[in-house]
Amino acid sequence: MPVPFIMPKFDMDQEQATIISWEKRDGDFVKFEETVLTVETDKVAIEVPSPATGTLARITYKDGDVVPVTTIIAYILKDGETLADLPKADITPPLSKPEVDSVSQSLTSAQATPVAVRMAKEEGVDLSKVASSGDKITRRDVELYLANQTPASRVAVAATPAARRVAREKGIDLENVAGSGPRGRVQSADVSKTAKQIPASVSHGREAEVIPLTGIRRTIAERMQQSFQQSPHIALTVDVDMTEAEKVRKRFNAQAEKLAQPRVTVTALIIKVVAWALVRNPYINASFNSDSISLWKDVNIGVAAAAPQGLVVPVLKGADTLGVGEINLRLVELAERARENKLKLEDVQGGTFTISNLGMFGVRQFRAIINPPESAILAVGSAVRKPIVIDEQDRVEVRPIMSLTLSADHRVIDGIVAARFLSDLVTGLESPSMLLY
Amino acid sequence: MPEMTYLEAIRQALWQEMKRDERVFLLGEDIGVYGGAFGLTHGMLDEFGPERVRETPISEATIVATAVGASLLGMRPVAEIMFMDFVLLALDQIANQAAKMRFMFGGRTSVPIVVRMPGGSGTGAASQHSQSLESILMHFPGLKVVNPSTPYDAKGLMLASIRDPNPVCFVEHKVLYKTKGEVPEDDYMIPIGVAEVKRAGRDITVVANNIMVMKTLHIAERLAQDGIEVEVIDPRTLLPLDTETIINSVTKTGRLLVVHEACQTGGWAGEVIASVVGSPAFDYLDTPVRRLGGRDIPIPYNRGLEKFAIPQDADIEAEIRMMVAGKV
Repeated sequence: MPVPFIMPKFDMDQEQATIISWEKRDGDFVKFEETVLTVETDKVAIEVPSPATGTLARITYKDGDVVPVTTIIAYILKDGETLADLPKADITPPLSKPEVDSVSQSLTSAQATPVAVRMAKEEGVDLSKVASSGDKITRRDVELYLANQTPASRVAVAATPAARRVAREKGIDLENVAGSGPRGRVQSADVSKTAKQIPASVSHGREAEVIPLTGIRRTIAERMQQSFQQSPHIALTVDVDMTEAEKVRKRFNAQAEKLAQPRVTVTALIIKVVAWALVRNPYINASFNSDSISLWKDVNIGVAAAAPQGLVVPVLKGADTLGVGEINLRLVELAERARENKLKLEDVQGGTFTISNLGMFGVRQFRAIINPPESAILAVGSAVRKPIVIDEQDRVEVRPIMSLTLSADHRVIDGIVAARFLSDLVTGLESPSMLLY
Repeated sequence: MPEMTYLEAIRQALWQEMKRDERVFLLGEDIGVYGGAFGLTHGMLDEFGPERVRETPISEATIVATAVGASLLGMRPVAEIMFMDFVLLALDQIANQAAKMRFMFGGRTSVPIVVRMPGGSGTGAASQHSQSLESILMHFPGLKVVNPSTPYDAKGLMLASIRDPNPVCFVEHKVLYKTKGEVPEDDYMIPIGVAEVKRAGRDITVVANNIMVMKTLHIAERLAQDGIEVEVIDPRTLLPLDTETIINSVTKTGRLLVVHEACQTGGWAGEVIASVVGSPAFDYLDTPVRRLGGRDIPIPYNRGLEKFAIPQDADIEAEIRMMVAGKV
């Protein structure tokens, strides 16, 4: 409902106020408590603030009008509301009118029928602009005047049902369509014409399937943009020799086989080491608030996964308290639920850090965008066997080398803090027994 | 296929059905020796005798009441109301008796009568002999209202009407009586309640009945030369109305005009329009839905004014052009 703008009562014994000047006009956007007009009581001039944020509409009294207190003098239309939402006009006439107005008053009563006068008031039409078809301005004349207003001045777009359907189907805003019908009514051909023009100018003749931004896609888009624009990203990369980690994984897999459990993935192993390192580096497991930083006590690690409708990040809660076997089991289960689109809200909430592993696709190294409100994300590349120098005697061996890239929110995480965390990850993965230390 | 007039097609239907089914008989004013006011039953008295071609007093209520009674006892009467205007005198028998008996007797009986009635203006017969009252008859559940526009439809619908187990008002048009068309000699029926697309087109759907079908088809040919393709739908039966055919057509064309000779106010165009606007076809409408009915005046005796009272070719053409151009 539009908010009525009421002439306030400033004094206990005040009965009326005179409008000195409107600072805003019909159609202006006003903020809550912003000054909209100045009025004068018999004691003092007072600025009247807006009762709400929105668009000022149907100002009923002019400068100089004397208005009884508590009279509705205008409305504030909130977002999405139009003049059609306004209640039927019930206008208390001003108590006295300045000279100019009494002239127009006599003009209207002499030259317009009472119905035309009332209608003009309700619709906010200036009768002096209305052409009369006979002796007096009639209701019909006012209707014609209204009908001939350009579409831009009308709040609702006149369009045929077919035009509305085509606009809906093609995702076109009817306000942007020039209507060729009577009184500017938009017809389906007008919409089709506009639809043809838009892609032509934007895509230079290329054809595209246009997918509306909805649901998870919209969420991803908004969060990624927010993250990349608001948190200054730094990215640090290290190479990890995965020889020892692979050995451990082999032993774990032997155990898993005995227990008839699924094979332990590299990701599960990395999660375990990341959890261990996060406990040692609390600033990596943190969130930036506008005036504080939250260092999370829980270590809840999200793992980016592909779901049918887009990216999802199921969260492993309390990863620092779990063994690799347990992490692996939960990971398998979450991944399955993600694939089947069956993740529950609690499965994706409460993350404090995220891992994105594209190594299985042969991606060597990449930078990920932080998943807000977290402060860092680890991008895991593929392990590639390559010759490296393994000791001070410059001996070269072929080892599985994997790159890890940490993207960190520089507001929370200093470069050295990020480096320490990565260094801990290298230690944990190259010497898994250190986790017991 | 032999060509015959609309009048001859109806006569042939009656003739063949009386030969086929001895329960069928005719009753009405001057239908015997005189052959009917329009000559439709000419020769039938000689062929079938006074038992089956029964002359009645000038009492429409009695004519229909007799038909209703006979039908309840197993006969298949076809009553003639000399001018449709007089059906008002028989309306109690049609609306309160014939239409309701099957329901009120729990389906244990039915009233298989046909009440023929020529309506329409164009013969200089003035206000009391020129009306198109079919819209009134549509307001009584239990009735069927049939309204053919061609000789072919007239015969097929007459045979279907006589064989229908329920009361049928068979609305003919005086001016159509002399129009010609191909009509098979065979026994064939056109189902009641099924409209026909008389001409296919993509730009506008025009729904019209009896003589207005002919006028609209004629105009459609002319408009086609200007690239305007009019789809002409003849409901053929007004009750029950085949709204599906109309809705499908409007979904295709996006425009609907209904043309009838009956007075516009309260005319059946309103029924067609309400059915379409309330259907999924709404989303396909690209111009305001329009109707062109007879003026709301008694049909004048003066021939010039008589024409003025009902939609003429030029009116229909102008309306279609305006709508297709998106100017209404």
